[in-house]
Amino acid sequence: MSAWRILLGKELLDVVRDRRTLLLTVLLPVLLYPGMLLLMGAIVAAGTLRLKNEPLTVAVVGAPTLALLARQPTPAKTTFVLHTRAEGEALLKDQKIAAVVQAPDDVDVALRTGQQAVVTVLYTKRFDRSMEALDRLKPVLEAINAATLKGRLDTLQLELGFVQPVKTEPVDLDFQKDLGPLIASRLLPIILLTMLIIGALYPAVDLTAGEKERGTLETLLVSAVRPVDVMAAKYLTVSLVAVATALANLAAMGVTFGMGISFGGPATTTFHLTVGQVLTMLVCLVPAALLLSGVSLAVASTARTFKEGQSLMSPVMLACLAPALLSQMPGIELSPVTALIPLLNVALLIKASVLGTATLVEVALTSLSVLAFAALALKIAASAFNSEVFRFGGTEGWKTLFGRKTV
Amino acid sequence: MAAIEVDSIVRDFGSTRAVDGVSFHVEAGEVVGLLGPNGAGKTTTLRVLAGLLTPASGHARLAGLSVIEHPLEARRHLGFLTASTGLYDRLTGREVLQVFGRLQKLDEATLAARIEALVKELELEAFIDKRCGALSSGQKQRISIARAVVHDPSAYVLDEPTATLDPVASRDILELVRRAKARHKAVLFSTHRMEEAEYLCTRLLFMRAGKIVARGTSAELLAQSGKATLTDAFLHFAGALS
Repeated sequence: MSAWRILLGKELLDVVRDRRTLLLTVLLPVLLYPGMLLLMGAIVAAGTLRLKNEPLTVAVVGAPTLALLARQPTPAKTTFVLHTRAEGEALLKDQKIAAVVQAPDDVDVALRTGQQAVVTVLYTKRFDRSMEALDRLKPVLEAINAATLKGRLDTLQLELGFVQPVKTEPVDLDFQKDLGPLIASRLLPIILLTMLIIGALYPAVDLTAGEKERGTLETLLVSAVRPVDVMAAKYLTVSLVAVATALANLAAMGVTFGMGISFGGPATTTFHLTVGQVLTMLVCLVPAALLLSGVSLAVASTARTFKEGQSLMSPVMLACLAPALLSQMPGIELSPVTALIPLLNVALLIKASVLGTATLVEVALTSLSVLAFAALALKIAASAFNSEVFRFGGTEGWKTLFGRKTV
Repeated sequence: MAAIEVDSIVRDFGSTRAVDGVSFHVEAGEVVGLLGPNGAGKTTTLRVLAGLLTPASGHARLAGLSVIEHPLEARRHLGFLTASTGLYDRLTGREVLQVFGRLQKLDEATLAARIEALVKELELEAFIDKRCGALSSGQKQRISIARAVVHDPSAYVLDEPTATLDPVASRDILELVRRAKARHKAVLFSTHRMEEAEYLCTRLLFMRAGKIVARGTSAELLAQSGKATLTDAFLHFAGALS
């Protein structure tokens, strides 16, 4: 059996028995997403329902305002109480009432004579109950407005189109009923790339700097094995862990969205990944795992201790996460140009895949681009493993990463 | 042909010359002690010999094979042991021996027989199948010894292997050296413990500032230094005594 295969077996056995790696790769995604998203959905739904059923008191300033509101049925669980405006504002500040409504004293005359009456609703965004009161008052006032307008138009024998010649009616065909794909397109690129990075960085540090610290690397390198075999085994192990992490996350997200998440609104958020979408993501996630494994191994190999390795990984993680965040910026979409930018292209391809807009050319460009950068990262990692920096942790500086080769 | 041969090795770290033209050899059946204060260049010399560091000039050979030109073949003759046990905590002792035996290209039957022999010789029966992380320091040290010699090398290079060990664990190392000598192995043994050097070594090399400043049997070193004990001779060669 070749040395790299013996070492790969050893590394995988070591990794499989490492509780921290298992926690990160399997348990975290399997438990976290369904738990987190379902719990979040349940909390939001419960909160929304509680607010809808909560009795609210609204201060009404003056009898004319009360008479105006009486033109429509009072919203459920809502009580109107007469107060002065000053009293209303003070009570609102103390959260004893949810809103204050004030119409002009001559509102009845204004409405009868074709004039406009400005009705003021005082509320605050600081309290959910106040926002809920506004939501309850708006339909009431809109209904009064519509009824008054209809009366005026009827008197003049005019149609509604006279006062609203052009009516805008946006129709969102894709997301009108189900927000699942939209939410997934926002969440998946960030979560998958984050977990891919975590999946690569932790084992890379453990298998290089960690081994150096534990003294096992020196033991290994004085046996009859070439550094390139050590590198190949570690590279494949880190890549496999990274891919496994991404797959576990993808599966957990798929199951969670497949079950459907209700955020309290009328629509239940559901999302089902098709085989094609999963394959598209894999086509870019596997090369991305190879790229991140190469980068993290090259960087981690220069550290002398696990702690030092973790410190070195912080900027790497930030640099790798930046493209995932950038992919969520307005106007940034997958194109023949962005498909060439490593990691940004992966995030954008995941997003496009979820929304069903990815093309074959974009998939091919993304995969080839990431593979090319992965090959470069592998070359740098190989240089690192051939250098004395790898063996003894940067005693001669980073220049040796690309300089002195040893046997 | 010497089992271990070091010829005019020079090695720098930046502007510091760590090893400056060191030459020596160790014949089969010999135990040679490498002595010297911290920073003398002992570990660098041993790392060059193990192929972990490349010399700026000079040669190192194991069983006549250059560690630079034929690293893998040369290292098949090397058993390397340090104070660090260098074991994988999540692997059992047997798994560690299997991995290192396979890396040394031992066939499965030979490897199994070799492991069983080491289990008996080093009394590993009680813990060979336990994960290394669960073993005591002494047990780890014995697994580490077995790992270093699983391929029955002809040259042993031991870099301060007893530095962090208690007397009981140190005894296992000294026993390893004694057995190696009896089996006609070449042993290069770096240590700070003068009593170990006096007890085990047929010859001694004394390093200071990257150079060998004295060599010979312990009696010869005592004569050269004019001291009565090896510890005083050590201090003399280290420049700590006038």
